[in-house]
Amino acid sequence: MSRINMVGLGILVLLLLLLPLVVGGFMTQIATTTITFAMLGLAFGLGMRVGLPRLDIAAWWGVGGYTTALLMKAGVSFWLTVLAGGIIAVIAGGLLFSLALPRGMIAFFVFCMVLSMAIYQMFGSVPLFGGWGGTTGVPAPTIGSFVIDTQREVYYLGLFFLMVTVTVYYLLYHSRIGRAWDSISSSLKLARSVGIDVVRYRMANVLIGNFFIAVAGGFFVSYYRAAIPSIFSFQAGVNTMVYLIIGGFSHSLIGPILGAIIATFIPEYLRFAQTYQAIASAVVVILILMFLPMGIMGWVDRRVKPWFYKRKWYARLSNWGVKEQPKMPV
Amino acid sequence: MSMALLELKNLNMSFGKLQAVSNLDMNVNQGEILGLIGPNGAGKTTVFNVITGNYRATSGKVIFKGEDITKLAPHKIAQRGIARSFQQTFLFQWSTVLDNVLMGFHMNCRAGALKEFLHTSLARKRDREARQEALEILDFMGLSGQKYEMAGSLPHGHQRALGVSIALVCHPTLLMLDEPVTGMNPTETIEMVERIRKIRDRGITVIVVEHSMKVVMGISDRITVLNFGHKIAEGVPDEIKKNPEVIEAYLGKEGK
Repeated sequence: MSRINMVGLGILVLLLLLLPLVVGGFMTQIATTTITFAMLGLAFGLGMRVGLPRLDIAAWWGVGGYTTALLMKAGVSFWLTVLAGGIIAVIAGGLLFSLALPRGMIAFFVFCMVLSMAIYQMFGSVPLFGGWGGTTGVPAPTIGSFVIDTQREVYYLGLFFLMVTVTVYYLLYHSRIGRAWDSISSSLKLARSVGIDVVRYRMANVLIGNFFIAVAGGFFVSYYRAAIPSIFSFQAGVNTMVYLIIGGFSHSLIGPILGAIIATFIPEYLRFAQTYQAIASAVVVILILMFLPMGIMGWVDRRVKPWFYKRKWYARLSNWGVKEQPKMPV
Repeated sequence: MSMALLELKNLNMSFGKLQAVSNLDMNVNQGEILGLIGPNGAGKTTVFNVITGNYRATSGKVIFKGEDITKLAPHKIAQRGIARSFQQTFLFQWSTVLDNVLMGFHMNCRAGALKEFLHTSLARKRDREARQEALEILDFMGLSGQKYEMAGSLPHGHQRALGVSIALVCHPTLLMLDEPVTGMNPTETIEMVERIRKIRDRGITVIVVEHSMKVVMGISDRITVLNFGHKIAEGVPDEIKKNPEVIEAYLGKEGK
């Protein structure tokens, strides 16, 4: 990362930290919801790195959510329940995906879709999970004796989880594992011909995704104080895909976060959130695909960045502290 | 019996009713360049795909270094030392030429997944070494001037060269080249032929499928000729040139 990028990132993190101090409680609440959705969108972006569009995200979100809800009601510490949710999602995912992943992308796609609906049904109809009314009365999470219960505190808890997720994904994308993933999504045949075990790398990808999706579920339940089947519906899984389409497919970190922000804030402001949400997101997706086929970040890449590249001050700024001359952007 | 590097034993490959390869016996010796030729649809690329595990042979065996690899998955075969370039230029289209080659390094840089993930100094050292070797390979293949260009934007001939570079990164024992000079101009072709010879001189065995007779005759130590999935001739280039069956396969009966 160049020095200017680090400064930019630092400013962004500072703004996110200051946000709840500046805006009101309602905005903070929406921002907290957005953080959860961003984490789900990031997991969808992760799957796309190995060419797997995942439609089962809502299901694993629910697995994490219900694990936290049930265990916290039984008196287990919040942090342990989040970890447990992640581990359960990884083990269950490993068992289930081993049936579908070796059969290729289409098989996996269909399997995920069916799985998501089945797990949703399970949450509603198995008595353990509290029926369609869900499990309510989840206690607030704590750190030692400190209770995280105000809107602001919950926001910071979410921000912590989001930052951990982004950091782990960033490190992964820039490691050898990330390179192998890229080669799989870019050309399956060539990846195999240089000795990459496609099934194993895809498995690692979706299981890492599962862990962080479940963590997002644990966090969401601790904030919502309930786990209700309708939250973890198939629709919620489809929405994660919409975030990436809005944000831009070619940016697996910024894309989903940007998409989640737009897709959560705008409906909340226009107050048509619940009733027309599905129709609104359909319209948005069609408009995006028509006018910004690579999403907002794709438009930034093509239209905004070249404008900056032409400025001398920008060149000086971006070369600040860079020892080796990096490759020129095309 | 001399030990062949690669042996095909009574190999059959059929797609439904179409018999693409029938009863093929073929040996590739250590350190040679074997030309595999034949008219369109003779089954050359199918043979490639069977050897590399992309197709599962209907019957028969593929033996590499004494080991039966007929039923192995493609990545396992690659890990045993067989690398290939593709006829269609399969490349990582949206990455730079250098990144393309680096991706091929996957198998050679084993810092361990966790260490690599944490960007430890060992992983970084391996990364530097990989980069160094990638640059050497690009230099050898005549692509050092294009290393920061997008792979998808390269002219066709350069894309072929890049395909070979990626295959070379895998440190293969056996390199399989599918039409390596197609789309190249005469100068590029001569350079490519020279490079294939140099690759052989480094001790890598090479199988070449190529349409250009001139190239195949000039480069190969031995040639195997296929027609409609059958082997119709085998031998040194001079023998093949005179073989009446080969002439007939290429030119038809009128050509005699």
